[in-house]
Amino acid sequence: MKRLIAKNGWTLGLVALLIALFIFTRLIQPGFGASGLESLSRATLPFAFATAAMAVVVIAGGIDLSVASMMAVAGVTAAVLMDGASDAMAVPLVLLVLGIGLAMGALNGALIVMTRVPDIVVTLAMLFVWEGVALLILKAPGGAAVPWVREMIVGTVLFPWLPKAFVVLVIALAVVWVPIRRSNLGLSIYAIGSDERAAYRSGIAIGRTRIAAYAICGLFAAMGGLSLTLSTGNGEPIPGPYLMASVAAVVLGGVVLGGGRGALLGPIIAVFILRLVRMDLTLLSVDPNVTTIVEGSIMVAVVMLGGILAVRAGRVKTA
Amino acid sequence: MRNFLTTTSAAAVLATSLGGAAFAASHGGYTIGISNTVQGNGWREEMVCAMKAQALVSGKVDSLNIAHRNTDAAGQLEDIRNLIEAGVDAIVLNPSNADGVNSAIEEAIAKDIVVVAVDQAVTAEGAYILSNNQEEYAYLGAKWLFEEMGGSGDVVYMRGAAGAGADNDRHTGFQRALAEHPDVNVAHEVFTGWQQDQGKQQVLDYLATGIPFDGVWTSGIDNVIVDAFIESDVPLVPIVGADNAGFVGQLASVDGFTGAAVTNPGSIGGAGVTLAIQILDGDVPADSTVLVDPSLWANNDPEGMKLIEAAQNPNLDPEWPVSVSIPGWTTYSMDEIIACKGPGE
Repeated sequence: MKRLIAKNGWTLGLVALLIALFIFTRLIQPGFGASGLESLSRATLPFAFATAAMAVVVIAGGIDLSVASMMAVAGVTAAVLMDGASDAMAVPLVLLVLGIGLAMGALNGALIVMTRVPDIVVTLAMLFVWEGVALLILKAPGGAAVPWVREMIVGTVLFPWLPKAFVVLVIALAVVWVPIRRSNLGLSIYAIGSDERAAYRSGIAIGRTRIAAYAICGLFAAMGGLSLTLSTGNGEPIPGPYLMASVAAVVLGGVVLGGGRGALLGPIIAVFILRLVRMDLTLLSVDPNVTTIVEGSIMVAVVMLGGILAVRAGRVKTA
Repeated sequence: MRNFLTTTSAAAVLATSLGGAAFAASHGGYTIGISNTVQGNGWREEMVCAMKAQALVSGKVDSLNIAHRNTDAAGQLEDIRNLIEAGVDAIVLNPSNADGVNSAIEEAIAKDIVVVAVDQAVTAEGAYILSNNQEEYAYLGAKWLFEEMGGSGDVVYMRGAAGAGADNDRHTGFQRALAEHPDVNVAHEVFTGWQQDQGKQQVLDYLATGIPFDGVWTSGIDNVIVDAFIESDVPLVPIVGADNAGFVGQLASVDGFTGAAVTNPGSIGGAGVTLAIQILDGDVPADSTVLVDPSLWANNDPEGMKLIEAAQNPNLDPEWPVSVSIPGWTTYSMDEIIACKGPGE
């Protein structure tokens, strides 16, 4: 039990923080209940997919600054394709958009591997490329989403307190990430993030693994873009505020920016924490100009506290 | 375990820090929620200040719950749903786009919350709309500019933000005027993103090329464009902007400058609060949509110049529109909107 807690200390701490925030929300808004949970889950969806996308490449020792732009491309593509499409066409269209996401991510990865230009530079350039592509597809907000697909993230399922959006998020992340995490590819992604040279000497194909990590990132980004289209009912070509938010959630979620350490669960819980903080600040009518300062300060405080305790723990061990 | 304790203690710190503001007493007046998705832009800041000032002077609003940040339609959906959770009586919003936030608006209306969209329209049934006519805004300015250019020549077209609904509507108006003046050619088209620094850099870059042109149409990033001409020591061409304080000042004071300001009142936010209060009081308007049509003030027209001179106000931020009030809709004073204080502040 102690080992389990020690191994998952950060994640369990985040769960405790989330529970504390739920209790706090209930205190300041006694009416907060099933509908609040449902709203929170729907708001979380695009941020959660963006964060999962970012987490995978960060674990692989990289970073992808084009996450929000890829989401915009996927979102407008879905909106344009679904506009006037029949119910039956929705599934192949969704799969096509996910395929496009996979291809965008793979292209990012391939450029990094082939050009040997640092990932931060390549993905910064691709941020502009994908932004332009989104605007070429749709000049202004437009298109539509097939109604039954939209309904997939609206309301609750099985229990009145279990939002559909949350179930969709868990299933989508699990279907993609769990098999990969348990496969050689998953191990390789962690290995190249932890120590590229050691991974190379162990026979891991660095280039292919890196491309695969970016492709998975693109796939999650496409899911995020789809969730945007399903939420709003149309496609928006201007990327939303998902890039920095995803980096913030990845850091808060316990993924080491240098790569090799962390998981998807922590960052996803962190996304819920950050959205719930936003909700609480709205409920408390906090000055909107102060809101972002509070959000940023909370993040820095939590990460710094963790860092300080880690350093102290290290000193105790070496003493 | 240490990590567990760390984040748990952070939870306690967070709960304590937020707790001070909780449990605010209610006084029986209305609570109005505000949702805006562009922060740090002069026009939007004036809109929010107009909302605050109008809520304060109405005497009927206990508190404003303001969600004011840079975000997209999905973020605005989140904000509107948070406002619903907060139990507001009405929501006044500047919509991110016409259709994208309908689902949350419909959820609000289903909970008997009055929803008023200002500046831009929404298509949700049951929402009230107090909107500036963006298409007409662009048409009016472009038509004046093209006529000022003698019906022919090259124009620099400085748009707003790519993909934004208001920019799209204005583009439609601009194209309509362009179709009426077939000899006018768009020499250069850029998106300023409605950012002063970006717009200025773009025009400086174009001036540096030395390519001649005959006029500039701007989507409200205007005074910095005039500044760029003056700083580059390039003869001024006719320029169209909005009724922002800085640009209106230049129309009155810069020698040899011919230009026109098209009104686009940010005070529409205050009008939206008035409409929300009226509906909450039971005074429901017959028509759910009110369009505010723009007017044009040209400094080479005596009537326009009279309006420009009357609108001079050095106390206003250069980015703020000079039309700080809308007769019949807003009742605050100039000082009250500049103070930018809402109920309880």
